[in-house]
Amino acid sequence: MMAHLLLRHRDIPDIGKLDVYRKNGGFEAFKKAVTQMKPQEVIEVVKASGLRGRGGAGFPTGVKWSFVPNNIWPHYVVANADESEPGTFKDREIMESNPFQFLEGVAIAAYAVGANAAYIYLRGEFWPVAAHLDEKIAEMEKAALLGDKLFGTDYSLRIYTHLGAGAYICGEETALLESIEGKRGQPRIRPPFPAVYGLYGKPTVVNNVETLTNVPLIVEKGADWYKSLGTADSAGVKIFSLSGHVKKPGNYELPFGTTFRQLIYEYGGGVLDDRPVKAIMAAGASSAVIVADDKALDTPMDYASVKALGADLGSASVIVINDSVSMDWVINKTIHFFKHESCGKCTPCRDGTYWMLHLIERIERGEEVEANTQLLHTVAKQMQNKCLCPLGEFSTMAVTTAIERFPQDFRG
Amino acid sequence: MTKTVTLTIDDQQVTVPEGTLIVNAAKMVGIDIPVFCYHPKMEPVGMCRQCLVEVGRPAIDRATGQPVLEDGKPKIQFGPKLETACTTPVSEGMVVLTHSEKARAAQKEILEFLLTSHPLDCPVCDKGGECPLQNLTLAYGPAESRFLYSEKHHAEKHVPLGDKIWLDRERCIQCGRCIRFQEIIAGDPVLSFYQRGRDTDIITHSDPPFDSIFSGNTTDICPVGALTTADFRFGARPWEMKAAASICSLCPVGCNLTFNTRREAKAGGKVVIKRAMPRQNEQVNEIWICDRGRFNWHYVEDPSRLTHPLVKKDGKLEKASWSAAIEAAGNQVKGNQVLVVASGRLSNEDLFNLKQLADGLGGEALLYDSLPGGELTTRYGVSAGTNLGDLGAGSAILVAAADLYHEAPIWYLRVKAAAERGANLVIVNPEATRLDKYAKKLVRCGKDEAAAKVRELAAELTAAENLVVFFGRTADRNLAEDCAALLQGREGRANNGLIGVWPRANDQGAWELGYKPVDPSTGSGQALAQAVKGKVVYLAAADPAGDDPQLAEALKGAKAVIVQELFPTKTASLADVVFPAQAFTERDGSYTSGERRVQRFYPATPPLGESRADFAIAAAVAAAAGLEVEGRSALLVMDKLAAAVPAFVGISYRKLAEVTEQWPIVGRGDLYYGGTTYENRQGLGVQLNVSTFKRSNVVRGRAL
Amino acid sequence: MPVLEPIVELARGLWTTLRSMAEKPVTVQYPEQKRPVKPRFRGRHVLKRYDNGLEKCIGCALCAAACPADAIFVEASENTDEERYSPGDRYASTYEINMLRCIYCGFCEDACPTEAIVLGDNYELSFTDRREAIYPKEMLLEPVPAGGAPTPQKTEPGKFTRSVPEMKDPAD
Repeated sequence: MMAHLLLRHRDIPDIGKLDVYRKNGGFEAFKKAVTQMKPQEVIEVVKASGLRGRGGAGFPTGVKWSFVPNNIWPHYVVANADESEPGTFKDREIMESNPFQFLEGVAIAAYAVGANAAYIYLRGEFWPVAAHLDEKIAEMEKAALLGDKLFGTDYSLRIYTHLGAGAYICGEETALLESIEGKRGQPRIRPPFPAVYGLYGKPTVVNNVETLTNVPLIVEKGADWYKSLGTADSAGVKIFSLSGHVKKPGNYELPFGTTFRQLIYEYGGGVLDDRPVKAIMAAGASSAVIVADDKALDTPMDYASVKALGADLGSASVIVINDSVSMDWVINKTIHFFKHESCGKCTPCRDGTYWMLHLIERIERGEEVEANTQLLHTVAKQMQNKCLCPLGEFSTMAVTTAIERFPQDFRG
Repeated sequence: MTKTVTLTIDDQQVTVPEGTLIVNAAKMVGIDIPVFCYHPKMEPVGMCRQCLVEVGRPAIDRATGQPVLEDGKPKIQFGPKLETACTTPVSEGMVVLTHSEKARAAQKEILEFLLTSHPLDCPVCDKGGECPLQNLTLAYGPAESRFLYSEKHHAEKHVPLGDKIWLDRERCIQCGRCIRFQEIIAGDPVLSFYQRGRDTDIITHSDPPFDSIFSGNTTDICPVGALTTADFRFGARPWEMKAAASICSLCPVGCNLTFNTRREAKAGGKVVIKRAMPRQNEQVNEIWICDRGRFNWHYVEDPSRLTHPLVKKDGKLEKASWSAAIEAAGNQVKGNQVLVVASGRLSNEDLFNLKQLADGLGGEALLYDSLPGGELTTRYGVSAGTNLGDLGAGSAILVAAADLYHEAPIWYLRVKAAAERGANLVIVNPEATRLDKYAKKLVRCGKDEAAAKVRELAAELTAAENLVVFFGRTADRNLAEDCAALLQGREGRANNGLIGVWPRANDQGAWELGYKPVDPSTGSGQALAQAVKGKVVYLAAADPAGDDPQLAEALKGAKAVIVQELFPTKTASLADVVFPAQAFTERDGSYTSGERRVQRFYPATPPLGESRADFAIAAAVAAAAGLEVEGRSALLVMDKLAAAVPAFVGISYRKLAEVTEQWPIVGRGDLYYGGTTYENRQGLGVQLNVSTFKRSNVVRGRAL
Repeated sequence: MPVLEPIVELARGLWTTLRSMAEKPVTVQYPEQKRPVKPRFRGRHVLKRYDNGLEKCIGCALCAAACPADAIFVEASENTDEERYSPGDRYASTYEINMLRCIYCGFCEDACPTEAIVLGDNYELSFTDRREAIYPKEMLLEPVPAGGAPTPQKTEPGKFTRSVPEMKDPAD
């Protein structure tokens, strides 16, 4: 097995210590970028590497950076460490155990877009992680890796952590920015996109923790090296958060293109109680539910292939469901979650999730199951394509696909 | 010249300025797109999702950058998703389908979502009958509910948000119009959302709760019955009331009002005013009014009002017939010099007739007002074409010795908006005011230094293209003169001029008619006490005895005192003859606002008791004294006035009643757009020109 | 025979008279006797109460709005738990029907969201003064049912918060 690139602490246990990290080539990429490269060159390298956002949308990172206009200042970089998707737990492991690689990624991104301040937005429950990162940031400042006039150049950078107050919606980038600004965590209308109108109305790059953790490697080893990993449309490695009915749940850093079967049986040690896999949710609670037939299990996990299955890879938080579970129970859980987390800003999500909740509860109580299932499906469809932000849309994914793909689970 | 964009909405070609939102572009050609959270006076937020429409744009060939042609016409590409018409700006060649099957289905579905948590208690809701949600549901919504009543979201229905405003949390559709109005337009961010999701509520976090002088406006823009006023609560159903156009009588802004009236059993079968609503006049109050204007008209129905003429007999005031009272007054004034002391509570017509009475008998007409500088505003005041809403970058506004928030709230609103558009706002005031945070420059100084400070600022202020100067409450003569001096050379130019923040609605009208201040040097009561000695004093709508015991004493030394009033005031108790006057809600008339706009008001209710209009009383007394003064109707008095006073040339009641189309369109058929009907069909008024005829320099001692 | 013909005709006529004298009369001895009305008869209005005595009328004035003859006049006021007339916030403090104007069309009944106004069986309306034709609320309200209390009632806070009850069959 290849050495870990992101979860390096699994190979080098003390990588979370600054001296160990530096001994293993740490901050060389940042230094190289600041001292030898122009910001535009850094963006070009990242663009050429084919790195795509790991937060879920899979937008090319370099392209996102290149959208930042150079006539409006200042610029900001925000690391999205909200990690609020149920079933996702990869960013936390990175921040806890390999923090410097992530922080170096933040620093390089900031240099690339000309930002002198970067924020790390963590969910409220991550307060120990925030404290941990604050310590690491302080160490970096002491080692002159952050602060004014870095490496003898004119470039200065500071990184701040910011804790959320426990809202799923703050993982959405515009809601996250509102939250940092001290406002209610509610998404903004897009366009304008954050790259133009972001934090405090200034151009801002928002990237996921895992995305940024890839950046030092790309700058250090080059775009071509990175491209050689993974598949044609999905370059590099990905951390798959495996959970559900598997014997060995956890984070697995694998190249794109690994199949579901490999992930579940080879790395995850097989299904709990050795029962057959019934369904897979590839992107946490926001996923469309995939029917786990042989074709699906042998599908390589990359953005395009999973899309072909009628689902999305998203943040690659793979939840495995075996045949002991009925799908109505699953969507009852997801609907409860989304109803609780709906921010209430737009009508279809606020009232749609509320209505869906009542319908699934009726189904769970066994009241007119078929009629209510049909109504639930219509209501979910009715919400689609109308919401202000993706939360509302995501809340319906599991509902519609579960009803369409597992009709046998919705019979009274 | 702003760039324009041509697009097609429902097969209609529309050309609108670049940056216009689809919803507004559609409105301009009479196409309604349903909205809840969008309000034409506020930035869009796209929350309610009601305005979803199909939007297509010309397809562009990536290689050539040219539009793709299909049968010789540009190919229109429709996106997979519907777009919110309230947040999407128009673009060249765009095609919008507002009533296609897809768009109608989406609009219906969003309404169904909104109705799932709405209590549908329209029968007991004050908004019922003039409710955007009701109207849009009938036009776009589903006919039947698929949601179970028992599963509806239940919340508090009876929340006093402040002492003036009630909140029904169940009816609220979380559009946030009230929150945004308070934050963006009023500048009093005292409301906000609380909790999230279906539990989202409106709360107030000021102490006292909902502490804003503009709070009543939130009940107008609320697209449902969530916010209602305590004053009107269950007062009447909207369709039961009649509307009468009026002008607010409480400050010199001259906000356009509509009084809604109804015959009522509680009031003993009389027609009474149930509520005051704003009436659109984009050049005066736009569509807003302050809470004073909305709620403080109740004084006209005070039970203590005078209903009969009173004549003094054996040292006691006794009820008398009109003919006896007029005769008594006529005998008093005949052959005597009459000193008329009137206040700005009166209309232009009243003041004109009273002045004719004084002039005809060789007396004098004084305006009972302590603020100096009236005659300066007749020369340097703003003139035709002025609109505070046009001021922005390149304009300067000086507010000297005035607290607009408290003295003239709508001017505060408009000056604040001008400052936010980039106008250079300078404030010279002894104390902090709410307007301070919008000022580019703040000068804190004592009353005596103010004039000097204004002189210091002269160079900066006069450099601006447009300059509007407000002076108020604590201004003295020197300050008024220095403010006027800033405007030298700008007389008669639109968007330039001097505005007095007078204590009463029609003080400006009195100045225009040539009323003299009580004392030109200080404006204090001392001079008045001297002036009344041995004279026949004719007081109208002024209560000097009630204001100052010294004046009460002085009035006892007058030869005779005649009073026309609404209330049995201290001054009235000293009078020889007292006439009961009609309130402005009971009669015709016109006021001249501080911005020198003459505006008409119409009778809303029948007059109280035997009371008569002030102009008619003055005319009758004049007739008894052998003078010929028009008193048959306010309209005829205005004709005489326009012929006699140069500034009023060309003004007639017909002219005052003229209306041109205003933007935004918020008439009766557009409830959903503005939240309530602000319809103005009774007149926008006419702004006075600065009189062209030469006068001597009014500002003394300065080279002008 | 031509001579007998008038006599026969006369006898035939008398026979009809005699026969109907023996028949049961179709008229009733009104006002001692009263004929029952048809189930859908629309007579004088009654304002209904709930079983606990609270008035069903919430003063919404929809009846007045629906009335084609403008015969109904309603004025509303606010309920409190101390002094409650009807469930919810609102009740009719004035409710008048001008019986001279009323055309007994029943639109008011249709418009009523709480089934408070019902056109009853009473058709005995006569007045000696035009003013008597205006029936105030006290005359229109039905008597307090057994077990109920008269209005205003002092009620438990939070119990009667809703003006419009959930109708069993609102389509009817």
